[in-house]
Amino acid sequence: MIECAGLEKVYQMGNVGVRALDGVSLSIGRGEFVGIMGASGSGKSTLLHMLGLLDVPTSGEITLDGIDVNTLNDYEKTMFRLYKLGYVFQDYALVPELTVAENVFLPAMLRNDRTDEEYTAATFDVLDRIGLSDRRWHLPKELSGGEQQRVAIARAVVNRPDILFADEPCANLDTENSRMVLDLFEEINREMHQTIVMVSHEDWHKKYFDRIIRLRDGKIVEDNHAVS
Amino acid sequence: MGKKELKVALFLAWRSLRRGSRSSALLTILIVGMCFTNMIFLPSLFAGIGQTIKTQIVDYEVGNVLVSPQSGEQYITDLDATLDLINSMPGVERATPHYSKGATLKYRQRILGSSIRAIRPTDEKSVSPIHTKMIAGSYLGEGDTGEIIIGKIVAGDATIPQEEEFYSSLGGVRVGDSITVEFGNGYIKDYRVKGIYSTGWTSSDNSALITWSDMEIVEGGSLDKAEYITVKTKPGYSEKFVKDMLMSYGVSPQVHTTDDLLSKAIGSVLQSFDIINMVSLIVSIIITTVVLFIVITIKTINSRKQIGILRAIGVQKEVIMHNYGFQVIILALFGISLGIVIALLLALYLAVNPIVTPEWSAYMYLTPMDLVSNSLILLASAIVAGYVPAYQVSREEIQSSMRA
Repeated sequence: MIECAGLEKVYQMGNVGVRALDGVSLSIGRGEFVGIMGASGSGKSTLLHMLGLLDVPTSGEITLDGIDVNTLNDYEKTMFRLYKLGYVFQDYALVPELTVAENVFLPAMLRNDRTDEEYTAATFDVLDRIGLSDRRWHLPKELSGGEQQRVAIARAVVNRPDILFADEPCANLDTENSRMVLDLFEEINREMHQTIVMVSHEDWHKKYFDRIIRLRDGKIVEDNHAVS
Repeated sequence: MGKKELKVALFLAWRSLRRGSRSSALLTILIVGMCFTNMIFLPSLFAGIGQTIKTQIVDYEVGNVLVSPQSGEQYITDLDATLDLINSMPGVERATPHYSKGATLKYRQRILGSSIRAIRPTDEKSVSPIHTKMIAGSYLGEGDTGEIIIGKIVAGDATIPQEEEFYSSLGGVRVGDSITVEFGNGYIKDYRVKGIYSTGWTSSDNSALITWSDMEIVEGGSLDKAEYITVKTKPGYSEKFVKDMLMSYGVSPQVHTTDDLLSKAIGSVLQSFDIINMVSLIVSIIITTVVLFIVITIKTINSRKQIGILRAIGVQKEVIMHNYGFQVIILALFGISLGIVIALLLALYLAVNPIVTPEWSAYMYLTPMDLVSNSLILLASAIVAGYVPAYQVSREEIQSSMRA
């Protein structure tokens, strides 16, 4: 599902080059729930952004679902993200002027393979599954942080993406809400056989992952399928 | 960019305006509305002044078409035959002759130099609306002799001391009073004031009228000549058509339409109005463009992170750009609608209460084309103002937007 080889990313900070990723190679199979862990500044978010086509590597190859994404132009990458990828960010990133339902079906509205009825039904279905169907016409500001993150997850999965990327989705949540979100990821992974790549630095999250890839200074220092 | 993408952009724009900062949206609409009003107000007021001046010149000075004597001649001779010829022309409602004579008017202790104009009352009624402007007494009858009608300025106001008068007058003549007129040829006659008119046109209100028969008495014989002839055109006929007809029939080589005369008389004034209008238009466009540019720039700067997120989840940059573009278009359309309402209310108010000066009265002369053209100009500038920052922000790298 995800293959990358010799991935490097160097950020230019003035005259100094900062190597955020230093020759990362990995392979993630379909249906895996992978946790990318490491200390702050280890390059885990950078790796997620590269794999999620939100940034371009300085060098190296990325293949998603058999497609060498380095060959895609800007528009094709946008379409790839729309049709094949889903994202959850740590600060929910919902559109404040849209209701819960509107936030969820926004990416589905742009797809050519969905009718209005189809994406509305899919939205209500996914909101029902995450237990927010009664709040579907509420605005994000009327929801708690945990609820907002669940809406963000619903938005990410409504298009049934091949890969779901989550960048520290529990960073702004308390333990209870974090557990709720992680349970939801686990459920989506298990029931929908959804490939999930999630960045986290919380040790207690490890039990949810099928596999943990640990980074340090831009290099993979641990890659196992350990479950605590 | 397909229909679906435009639909999503419009969806985002409408939701953003409906559920975003209401005060910011209302303020923007108000500013656009005021700018539109500013664009419309001054030019239409000047157009109104121009129209008033034109109407007054047509009504009280030259008619639609003015026939003057041949160059080098003082009068149009063979008057009756000339009038018959003009009146028989297609497009001519009526022609009426004018003959003026310098005179001194005396009333009690007041003496006033003026020119007395002879008219044919019945014909004059068809060309000039003075008969409808009588504020006291009545209009001249065809066979009246020894009677005169005078303008409001000539009549004066008894309550205003002579030294405080803006225009010299006879100091408060009333209908029925007798005034002595001493003509330039030495003929002196007492006239009873039959009526006083007020047209609002200074030159007209500063005149005095007697019948053609009375002037024949002054001149001591039949008066088959005129200083000039004013012609009223029939509805549906252009002044130019009537002028060309009159010239082709050899009525006189000196035939002018109102527009010919206006371009000579107040052409420079109208040109000045045009310059002021252009400055006003440019200032309004600049204000609108800058305001909308700032509004959308602030919106996009505040939404940079959100724009990055939207792009991350697969929303094309064009959708994001059109989202802000549509917001500006919607704000501009509401603003323009508000501006149209304000402009129409102002026009209505000024139609009922025109700005009156001694020289002219002004109202807003507003045509549908003025509203449409100004709306389109403002909309175009709004689109430019909105799309420039929207384009810039939509082109930003996802990572730099998300880090904002």
